[in-house]
Amino acid sequence: MTWYFARRLAFAAFLVIAVSSASLVLARLAPGDFVTESAGTEISRQTLEQQRARYGLNKSLGEQYRDWLAAAARLDFGYSMQYGRPVRDLVPERAANTAILALAALVFATLIGLPLGIISGSRKSGVLPGMIRATSVVLLSMPPLLTSLFLLFIAARTGWLPIGGMHSAIVPPGGALADLLRHLVVPAAAVGLPLAAMLERLQSQAMSEVIGEPFVLATLSRGVPRSRIVWRGAFKAALRPVAAVYGLVIGTLLSGSFAVEVITTWPGLGNLMLQALRSRDVYLVAGCAGAGALFLACGTLLSDLALAVVDPRASETRAERA
Amino acid sequence: MSRTLGLVLVTFALLAAVAAPVLAPHATDAHFGGLLNAPPTVVHFADASGGWHAPFIYRWRLVSQLEQRYEEDLSTRVRLAWFSGGHVVQSSDEGAAPLLLLGADSYGRDVFTRLLFGARTSLGLAVTAALGALLIGATLGGLAGFAGGVFDDVLMRAADFVMVLPAIYVALALRAVLPLVLTASEVFGLLASIFAIVGAPFVARGVRAIVRSERRLDYAVAAEALGASDARLLFRHLLPSARGFMAVQMTLLIPAFIVAEATLSYVGLGFPDPIASWGTMLHDASSNIRVFADFPWLLSPAAAMFLVVLGVNLVLQNRRSEDVRHIGVRHTQRL
Amino acid sequence: MFAKNKNLHANPKLGRSTAHAFDRAVSWPLGQIVTRQTRRLAASVAFVVAGVLAGAGCRSNTPPKSATAAASKSGVPRGGDLIASVRSEPRSFNRHAASDSTTELISNLTQGKLVHVNQATQAVEPSLAESWTSEDAGRRVTMHLRRDVVFSDGHPFTADDVLFSFEVANDEKTQSILADAVRTGGKPLQVAATDPHTVVITSAAPFAPGVRVLEILPILPRHRLEAAFKAGTFAKAWGLDTPMSDIVGLGPFVLSQYAAGQRVVLTRNPKYFAKAPDGGALPYLDRLTIEILPDQSAELLRLQSGQLDMMTSEISPESYASLKRSADGGKITLLDLGVSRNAEGLFFNLKPGAFGADPRAPWLQRDELRQAINMAVDRKVFVDTVFFGAGVPVYGPETPANKVWYWEGLPHTPYDPAAARQLLASIGLTSGADGVLKDARNQPARFTLVTQKGRPSMERSVAVIRDELKKIGLTVDVVALDSRAVIQAFLTAKYDAIYFNADKTDLDPGTNQDFWFSSGLAHMWNLEEKTPATDWERRIDELMTKQIASPDLAERRQLYNEVQKIFYDHQPMIYFAAPRIFVAHATRVTNLTPAEYRPQLLWRPDTVAVIR
Repeated sequence: MTWYFARRLAFAAFLVIAVSSASLVLARLAPGDFVTESAGTEISRQTLEQQRARYGLNKSLGEQYRDWLAAAARLDFGYSMQYGRPVRDLVPERAANTAILALAALVFATLIGLPLGIISGSRKSGVLPGMIRATSVVLLSMPPLLTSLFLLFIAARTGWLPIGGMHSAIVPPGGALADLLRHLVVPAAAVGLPLAAMLERLQSQAMSEVIGEPFVLATLSRGVPRSRIVWRGAFKAALRPVAAVYGLVIGTLLSGSFAVEVITTWPGLGNLMLQALRSRDVYLVAGCAGAGALFLACGTLLSDLALAVVDPRASETRAERA
Repeated sequence: MSRTLGLVLVTFALLAAVAAPVLAPHATDAHFGGLLNAPPTVVHFADASGGWHAPFIYRWRLVSQLEQRYEEDLSTRVRLAWFSGGHVVQSSDEGAAPLLLLGADSYGRDVFTRLLFGARTSLGLAVTAALGALLIGATLGGLAGFAGGVFDDVLMRAADFVMVLPAIYVALALRAVLPLVLTASEVFGLLASIFAIVGAPFVARGVRAIVRSERRLDYAVAAEALGASDARLLFRHLLPSARGFMAVQMTLLIPAFIVAEATLSYVGLGFPDPIASWGTMLHDASSNIRVFADFPWLLSPAAAMFLVVLGVNLVLQNRRSEDVRHIGVRHTQRL
Repeated sequence: MFAKNKNLHANPKLGRSTAHAFDRAVSWPLGQIVTRQTRRLAASVAFVVAGVLAGAGCRSNTPPKSATAAASKSGVPRGGDLIASVRSEPRSFNRHAASDSTTELISNLTQGKLVHVNQATQAVEPSLAESWTSEDAGRRVTMHLRRDVVFSDGHPFTADDVLFSFEVANDEKTQSILADAVRTGGKPLQVAATDPHTVVITSAAPFAPGVRVLEILPILPRHRLEAAFKAGTFAKAWGLDTPMSDIVGLGPFVLSQYAAGQRVVLTRNPKYFAKAPDGGALPYLDRLTIEILPDQSAELLRLQSGQLDMMTSEISPESYASLKRSADGGKITLLDLGVSRNAEGLFFNLKPGAFGADPRAPWLQRDELRQAINMAVDRKVFVDTVFFGAGVPVYGPETPANKVWYWEGLPHTPYDPAAARQLLASIGLTSGADGVLKDARNQPARFTLVTQKGRPSMERSVAVIRDELKKIGLTVDVVALDSRAVIQAFLTAKYDAIYFNADKTDLDPGTNQDFWFSSGLAHMWNLEEKTPATDWERRIDELMTKQIASPDLAERRQLYNEVQKIFYDHQPMIYFAAPRIFVAHATRVTNLTPAEYRPQLLWRPDTVAVIR
C-alpha cells in the first residue's frame, strides 16, 4: 500500500512537471510574446528588445526552459511578467478562490445530482424521471458561457444577487461571510448545474443497471421493501461509476473554469490562466497549468482510492499482488 | 414509448441535416441587409380585418436601425411560394420579405437555414469525434484494466496527462504551425481528431474501472478457466459490461463537442465563416446579452442541441437497460 | 456647460503660448496599434499656429449634452462613492513600467502632471506648472511651479521632484516606456531648476510640441523612489504587490486597496492641490472604485442594475438598445459624443519582395487592387451592418471628427462594382463564366485577410468586406487571430492583408509621424523602410517634412490635403467607416466633462461628482 502510494505520488510530481513544461513550450511556440502587445505603440524596437531581455524572452527556447527548470527545482517558478509578482505567490492565492467555488459547486451538485439520479434510475418510466432526465439534458447541452450569462441575466433582472465578483467593495451589513455567500450563488450554480446533471446521468445509469442485477431481484423476492433496497443496498453498489469520476471532477473543478470565472468575474485560477494565456505570460501559464495538473493528479488518486472503498473488488492494492 | 420518441428525434435531426439544401429557404451566406436581428416572420392565415387567406407573411419594417426594432408591415400580404426554385417553401417576394422562420442573426442571415446546415457540420463532427473517443477510450481503457500492472499504469498516466494539458494551448500552438487558411474538410478532420483524443481519457478511465472490477467476477474467472482467449474474454465478455457507461459518455460527449467547436473557433481553428455550425452560432449569440430578452431565436441551436441530445439519450438509455438484462441473463446461464 | 466654458475662457493665453498638438501616446484598449506621437521631431511649429489650432480644436470637439450634466453652478455635490469599470487589470502602479490603459488610468488618478490637456477642447491647461514662458523658438521653456503643493504623504513638492521625474524617464537602466515620449529630435529634454519653484526645460531640436508633451509624464516623489532608482531597481518599483501606503502622488486620488482580479479602490487625496471654482477642495468624490470586469455583458448588466456608475470606454453599437431602454427608464444617461476620430482600415503587405515566388505577386501589391476594393465595398452596407447605422462613411485617413484636418475636397469614392471589375481586369484578373476572377495562370484570385478575434467591429467589418468582394468575384479568406498573433504577423510582414486599427490619440497629423513617414514604426503597410519604397511614399515624406516645419496653418492644411490626395490615389490603407461614440453613466453622476476620446467620462476625475 505504501509503495503504491509513493509510486502514485511520484507520478503526480512527474505529471506536474510534464504539464507545466509542455505549457511553457507551447506558450513560447504561440505567435507573439508578452512584449508584442506594446510593439507599434510608443515603444521603439530597441526598448522592445530591452524589455524582452528583461523578461528573459530573448533566450532560446531550450535555454529558457533549462533555466526555468533549474529554478523550479528550487521551487522558484519565475515571475509573472504581467503582475510583476512571483508565480509561487500568485497561484495559491487564486487557487484558494477557485477552491471555494469548487467546493460550493460540488456540494450543490452532489446534493442535487445524486438523489435525482437514484430516483430517475430506479424507475423505468414515469413523469418524474422523464422530467429529471430532460432537465439534465438541457443543462448538459447548454454551453457554460451561455449558462453563466443566463444566470447573470437573471440576477440582474431580479436584483436579488450581485452581478459577478467575489466580495463587495465595502463590506455590507451582515458580514463578510454573508457577502461572500451571496456572491457565490451565481458562479456556483453555473459550475454546479451541469455537474449535477452529469452526476445525475451517471448515477441514474448505474442505478438502473444495479436494479436489474440478480442480488437486487433476490432481495426483492425476500420481501424487503423496494425503497429500502434502492436507498441502501443498490445505492452503494451504484456509487461505483460516480466514484470513478468524482475525484476527477474535483481535480477539474479545482483547476478552474474559464467561461464561468470570466463571465462572473470570479478571481480564480481559470480567470488567471486565461489572462496569462492572452498576454503570453509564459511562466504564469506554466504555473497555472502545473497547479491544474497537481489538482488533477490528486483527484485521480482520490478517485482510485474512493473506488477501492466503494468497490473493494477493484482495490488497487490487490493489483500489486502480481 | 420513450425510445420511440428518441428515435423520432434522432431521425428528425438526421433528416433535417441531410435534406438541408431543400428544406432551407436560403443559402447559408445569404444575408438581408435591412433585417439584422429581425424576429421570425409569422405565418398568417387571417389578415387584420379577419379575412382568411392561403398562408402568407408580412414584411418586417425597420422601426429603429440602431436598436434593431421591427414591426410587421400590414399593408401587403406576401404569399408563400411552395416547391419553387428547389426549395420546399420560400416567400413569393424573397428580396423584400424573405421567409425567416427562426428570425435573422446579427448579419441578417436566416437562422433557420443556418440551423439546418449547421446540423450537418455540428452533428457530423460531434458524432464522429464521440465515436472516435469511445473507440480509443474503450480500447485503451479495456486493455489497461485487463492487463493491469505497468501497462495499466503507463496508459492511465498518459490519459491523465492528456486530461490536464490545457487544450486551448494545444489549439493555439497548432494554429501557429498550421497554414492560416484551412479548408472545411481539413478543419473537420483536425477538430474530430483533437476531440477524440481529448475525450478518450474520460472514457478510458471509466471503462478501465469497470473492466477491472468485472474481471474478478465469477463469470469472467469461469470463462478464463474454460480457456477463453484474452481477446475473447476482453471483447466478448468484459467490454460489453461497460456498454451502459459508454452510452452515457456518448450523451455527455456529443453536446460537449458541439460546444467545444465554438471554443476552438475562438482561437482561430473553427470552420471558415460561411459554413454554419451550432457552436459558432451559439458563440455569436452569446456575445450580446440582449439575446435573452430581445433575440431569443438566436438560441435555437441550443434548443436543437437539446432535442438531439435528448433523442440520443432516450435511444441509448433504453436500449441499454434491455441489454443489461440480456447480458445478466446470459451470464447467469453460463454459470 | 460651465466646466467647458471655464476651460475655454480661463486660458486663452496659454493656448497661444504653447505649440500645439503633441499629445499623450496611449494604447487603448489592449491589442491595438496606436501610432507613436512624439519622437524624432524634425522641425518646429510656430506658436501662433498652435494658438489658432487650439482654438479650432475647441470648436471641433463640442460634446453634446454636457450642458445638462453640469448645469448647476450653485453647488456641485460633495462626497460619495463612484464605481467605474475597466476591462483589464493594471500591469503596474508605475507608469514607466507599463503602457496599458488601466495602468495609465490609475496613474492619471493618482499622479500629478506639469500640464494637463483638456480632452474636450484639446487646449493645454496649467496643472503643477501654473504658468510658463518660452524663448528661442520654443527651445527653452521656463515653468513656474505652484507653491504650497504637497504629496499625499505631506512631503512638499519642489522642482527637485520634477528633475527626478525627468531623470527617471531618461535613464537607460529604467527602460522607461515614457523615454521616447520626452525626447525631441532623438535627444532627451534637458531640465534644470533655477529655484525650488522654477524649472527650465531645454530641447536640443526646435521644441515644436511645446509643453503639451509633458502631459504624459507623471511627477514622482523623489523622497520615495530615489533609493530604488539609485539601486537600479526602479523598473520593478511600485509593482502590483507594493503596499498601498508606499505609493504617494500629487493626483486627486490615492490608492487604498487593490484586490487582484477584482478591483482597485481609490480614496480622495485630502492634500490635492487643485481647487474648485468656488474655492472648495477637490476632488468632489470621497471614493472611486475601479472594478475589473473583463466581460462586456457583465459590465453592461451591472451598469443597468445600478451596481456600476460608468464605464471607462464607449459602449458597443450592439449594446445601444438595452442601454437606451434603461435610459428611457431614467436609470442611466446615454450620451452621443459624435463621430470617432479613428477608423479601422484594411492594408496590404506592401513590403517589396514580400511575396517572392508566390504566383499572386504580380497583382497583390498593385495600386489597382486596392483602388478596386475601395470602389467595390458599399459603405452604406458597411455602416448599416457593422455599426447598425450609427456611423459615417470614411474615404481617407481623417474622419469628419477632425474638423481642422479633415478635407472636404477628398473625393467620395462612389460604390461602383463594374468599375472595380474593369480595374482588376487591367491587372490581369478576369472573370470566368462563374463570375470568379482568375489570374493569368487561370487560378482563382484570392487573398487572406487577417483580423483580431473577439473585436466585434473588426469581425463584422471583415465579414462585410468579404461578402462585398465576393460580388465582384474576388475571394477573401478571413482569418481572425488573437491580438498578439495579429501584431506578430504585422511585425514580421508575413501576411497578405490585415484589417486593424491605427489609432490617433491626437488630431494633428504632425503628431502621427510614425504613420506617415516611410521610416515610421507605424507605417502599417511597410514598416521602417530604409529608403522610401515608392515614389509616392517619398513624396509624402517630403510633404510631411514641410508640413511639420511650416508656421502657417493655411499652408499646413494645403500640404496635408496634398498628402491626403496622394494617400487616396494609392490607398495604402483603405478606410470604410467610422462609428459614432456613445457612452452611458448612472444618472446620479454629475458635473461631467465628456470627450470623444477615452476615458470619455473620466479624463478629468477631480471634478466628477455624484448626487447622494
